Amino acid sequence: MKLSTRYNRVNIITSIIVLIITGIIYYLVIHLILTNKLDKDLAVEENEIRQYTHTYKKLPLPATYLDQQISYSSPKGDTTDVREFSYTTYLNPKEKEQEPGRSLVTTVNLNGKTIVVTITKSRVESEDLVRIILLITLGITMLLLFSLLLINRFVLNRLWKPFYVVLNRMKAFEVTRMDNIKEEPTRIDEFNELNKSVNAMAEKVKQDYKELKSFTDNASHEMMTPLAVINSKLDSLLQTESFTEQQGALLEDIYQATGRLSRLHQSLLLLAKIENNLISDTEEIDLKEMIEAKIRQFQELFGRDGLNVEIKLSERKVTMSRYLADILLNNLFSNAVRHNINDGRISLELTSEKLTISNTGKTLNIHNRMFDRFSKSTESEGMGLGLAISKQICNLYGFNIEYSHIENMHFFSIYLG
Amino acid sequence: MKILIIEDEQALYESILAYFTGEGNICELATDFVTASEKIALYHYDCILLDLGLPDGEGLELLTRLKSMNKKDGVLIISARHSLDDRLAGLDLGADDYLVKPFHLSELKARVSAIVRRKNFEGTNLIIFDEIKVDVAAMKTTVNEHPVVLTKKEFDLLVYFLSNKNKVVTKNAMAEHLWGDEMDLSNDFDFIYTHVKNLKKKLSEAGSKDHLRSVYGIGYKFSSQ
Repeated sequence: MKLSTRYNRVNIITSIIVLIITGIIYYLVIHLILTNKLDKDLAVEENEIRQYTHTYKKLPLPATYLDQQISYSSPKGDTTDVREFSYTTYLNPKEKEQEPGRSLVTTVNLNGKTIVVTITKSRVESEDLVRIILLITLGITMLLLFSLLLINRFVLNRLWKPFYVVLNRMKAFEVTRMDNIKEEPTRIDEFNELNKSVNAMAEKVKQDYKELKSFTDNASHEMMTPLAVINSKLDSLLQTESFTEQQGALLEDIYQATGRLSRLHQSLLLLAKIENNLISDTEEIDLKEMIEAKIRQFQELFGRDGLNVEIKLSERKVTMSRYLADILLNNLFSNAVRHNINDGRISLELTSEKLTISNTGKTLNIHNRMFDRFSKSTESEGMGLGLAISKQICNLYGFNIEYSHIENMHFFSIYLG
Repeated sequence: MKILIIEDEQALYESILAYFTGEGNICELATDFVTASEKIALYHYDCILLDLGLPDGEGLELLTRLKSMNKKDGVLIISARHSLDDRLAGLDLGADDYLVKPFHLSELKARVSAIVRRKNFEGTNLIIFDEIKVDVAAMKTTVNEHPVVLTKKEFDLLVYFLSNKNKVVTKNAMAEHLWGDEMDLSNDFDFIYTHVKNLKKKLSEAGSKDHLRSVYGIGYKFSSQ
């Protein structure tokens, strides 16, 4: 839920509840005040009738004044000294219709006789007043809610704009691209602070990344030199040539290990380079032609293991680095050969949307870690980096590489974007 | 041939010097930028081995100077930087080849020999070793003037051996030379064995002496005896 939505909801619900309660209280109070006023008027009338009766010793005429009726009746039963206000209806003689009214039933003493007097006043005016006041209140409430909504929608959105801009910049921030998060000018302190913090953080991340990268660069460079020395010294040592068979075997092992180490190192460097997008010499490559050349290059390997190669290639050009394309094909081809069985099969299929290389082989147990670094089957002679590199290369160009297997056939498909 | 080694790592240049010296080769050494630029300006070399990472200057700058002096020395860049940009920059500036550290001395020798052959014989590009004569440009081999038909790999192997005559060449180095290190054929030297066997057979059938000798199972040595 968005902050503004949540805020809006709370705000509007609270406003509505408060306004409803206020409205009810308002209505009741006004109603009470008006009733009080009517009652006072009725009391004044009662007073007048009393005085009139007292002075003239007779009852005033049961006249009907404006919005006021007076009627007399003899007390029913044993009523003495009744005085009570009540809500009744009032028959408007002019318009001949029932209106809400307020009446006072009281008694006057005329020559020792008790007479019940009923004074009724129309409540229509006060009711109208209450209604108008209620309508105005309702109107104001609506207006208030409406303006709240508008404020929330437009002002809040505008207020929060710098926040969203910063958020989008943070989303788009890529440490490898080394660009700054630009400040979004705003007069709001909180956002200014956010801007500053985000920029400081980005700066720090970039600094750390740079240090890490230069560390990797330096480390690999520094590692290369001793490796080169070991290699050259081994070559020199070999020329001195007076070894026993045993020493020869030891030397051979050292050679193997050094070779492995330098290949490992080169693979790691290559991975780092692809990840950091440091290889940028893209060109249009005729994939079909390249695969055909690669098949010729691997012919000898295919022949050795008696592999039957099926080839089905159609024209497809891709835009990528030739160097990386070569590595990608090398890795996939080497894999297909290395993990194959004697007299097995390799099938190469290139269509306009994908390149599939499949080979027969043993069943593997690392399906889901196929493209992880250093994951390899136990009998594999490789370093477990080939497929990780292939995946990185595919990622770099937006290709999608997938592995699947059907019984003893392994499929690597590259969906060319 | 006359070779200038521009390299600051002592252990490395010592090995290179030891490997290259002899057989009529003259090697000179420059361990810093200043010495290197002086030597380049004063003398002519058949090939210059240039390390890009010098302590007091950028190696590529030496290349630029060499070109501005209009010198025709062959240049082989050796660098720890496995960077495509560096490689391209170096080759653009007129270097003849680019070798990434770590390398096998035999590979270095083969490449230097190739550069020197290209520079000196301008097209003829002949290697003569006793009764064996190899025309690298035309890819033709003769033993006692009788042509020998070799496959591409066998031919490459022979040229590699001839560039490293009297030296022990490891199977590792041979594999990398023939297939490139990216093919990653580690521990898989059956091929080398097959190719060497075929090469030996073809040469001896053509009447050549047995020059190739296996050394402790690590590699081979091509020599006169």
